[in-house]
Amino acid sequence: MRRLRVLLLKEWRESLRNKMVVFGVVLLPLFLVGISVYMIALGEGIGDPTASIVMFNTSLMYFLLLPTIIPLAIAVYSIVGEKDQTTLEPLLATPISDLELFLGKALASVIPAVVVNWLSFGLFLAATRVVVGAVPLQALTAPWLASIFGLSPLLALFSVGVTMLVSSRASDARAAYQFSSFAILPGLVPLIIYSSQQTLVDLRLVVAEGAVLIVLCVVILYLAIRVFRREQILTRWK
Amino acid sequence: MIETRGLTRRFGPRVAVDGLDLDVARGEVFGFLGPNGAGKTTTIRMLAALIAPTGGSATVAGHRLGEANREIRRRVGVLTETPGLYRRLSARDNLLFFARLYPVQEPERQVERYLKMFELWDRKDEPAGSFSKGMRQKLAIARALLHEPEILFLDEPTAGLDPEAAKTVRDLIETLRSKDRTIFLCTHNLDEADRLCDRIGLFRTRMLAVGDPVALREEMYGRRTVVHLASPSPGIEQTLDLPFVKKVERLDDRLIVSLADPDAENPALVRRLVELGADVRFVNELRVSLEDLYLDLMEGRDAKA
Ligand SMILES: Nc1ncnc2c1ncn2[C@@H]1O[C@H](COP(=O)(O)OP(=O)(O)OP(=O)(O)O)[C@@H](O)[C@H]1O
Ligand SMILES: [Mg+2]
Repeated sequence: MRRLRVLLLKEWRESLRNKMVVFGVVLLPLFLVGISVYMIALGEGIGDPTASIVMFNTSLMYFLLLPTIIPLAIAVYSIVGEKDQTTLEPLLATPISDLELFLGKALASVIPAVVVNWLSFGLFLAATRVVVGAVPLQALTAPWLASIFGLSPLLALFSVGVTMLVSSRASDARAAYQFSSFAILPGLVPLIIYSSQQTLVDLRLVVAEGAVLIVLCVVILYLAIRVFRREQILTRWK
Repeated sequence: MIETRGLTRRFGPRVAVDGLDLDVARGEVFGFLGPNGAGKTTTIRMLAALIAPTGGSATVAGHRLGEANREIRRRVGVLTETPGLYRRLSARDNLLFFARLYPVQEPERQVERYLKMFELWDRKDEPAGSFSKGMRQKLAIARALLHEPEILFLDEPTAGLDPEAAKTVRDLIETLRSKDRTIFLCTHNLDEADRLCDRIGLFRTRMLAVGDPVALREEMYGRRTVVHLASPSPGIEQTLDLPFVKKVERLDDRLIVSLADPDAENPALVRRLVELGADVRFVNELRVSLEDLYLDLMEGRDAKA
């Protein structure tokens, strides 16, 4: 586990020096929070009390999208970057185990994605309070909170699993990025159904979505672990 | 330190390494020579427990390959074909990361020691991506040494370096010789092998010849004496009638004489040539370059013929 920590710290140190990654992890969430707050302020301006609530409700969707989008950049660069710097072989020559390597790479993306998502959510609530005067608690229902806190780690994990699988096959970051974004879409289908019925959001939907995600995550992680074997990495990865 | 028996690796139908038998002793510098695609990198990868052999067995640093791979990885250091550094991280952070993946007692001190030893300390905080090729190679060698491995695998350490950087790296390798450290050096650079290695193996998918560089040449070509004549003395090679002379060839005004023991036989040879009326200018030993030996072996020519 000591080696896992060492790897995680290395991943983050590298990410912080990569503009593309910093953009995806910091600017994108800030941008979405900014847009949501602006929309809510617009709704407030209309004068109809339901308008800002509808805007608020729509904005909550972003905090289910963010955990799938944020880890993309980190995961792509942590695999493709390792490949084009040809650092995989020296890394695999150390006593690190295949599982430690896999977990290090996966958690390096999942942890910041979840943390940044929750932080953005906090920022969003605070900004709403400043702009509208109070957080519309009638819109911030228990199912929503359960989704944002319970589902976002699963969404991030799924997204990271897909990205790691795709990146292991791709030699260029942009291609890996595009393919991964595409491959994540099916995972978002339940989310889309869910959002189209946002007025009806209830805990059963959240649980169903959670169950679907757990199954998807298990499948993806199983596949990814099989690809993360020394021999495979050195002889099959391009 | 390294012992292989019938070590084999196939990639699908292609055999990259075929039945390699090898014994490398502790403290030895072993040169592994072969052309592109010979299977040198594949051999290192197998011996460093990175990929599995498809046949045969090996013991590396006292552990059986396939049974104690993690233990083997702890005890060997690998300089891979490309330096493989994190470009965005500083030289120091690159080394610290690797030192911490091994059971190194005081990673900071060890990193400092090697950065100073390799004259990189002044630039320790600069990103590795800003380094010249030669500096990157030094940094990569330092990385392979941080955990004080018993065996150091070097995969073409001077490939792609300019002559000056190559010399720096070669001199550095020279300083790494130690009775406790075995060095396994892959190279196509024959002078490098000649200078640095105690023994060399000429390899192309299979081992073609093994020995110390001098003995290998003698074994292949015998020892030869070159007699430089002041005047051509035509026909003298036919009249030279000494029992110990194995073969005489003429090259312009030089005679190339194959002998079993030149140290003992040269005086008699010169005496006889003078008797036969030759004006001997000077006599020296013909050194076959390792390159000739290598090319002959690789082209499958019988060098002795
Ligand atoms: N992952 C792989 N998949 C298929 N074939 C491979 C793989 N790795 C190596 N080979 C093949 O094995 C043979 C030996 O390759 P290897 O890289 O070991 O040679 P080398 O001696 O290191 O050559 P070079 O001097 O060019 O580095 C080559 O024919 C190569 O194509
Ligand atoms: Mg090679």
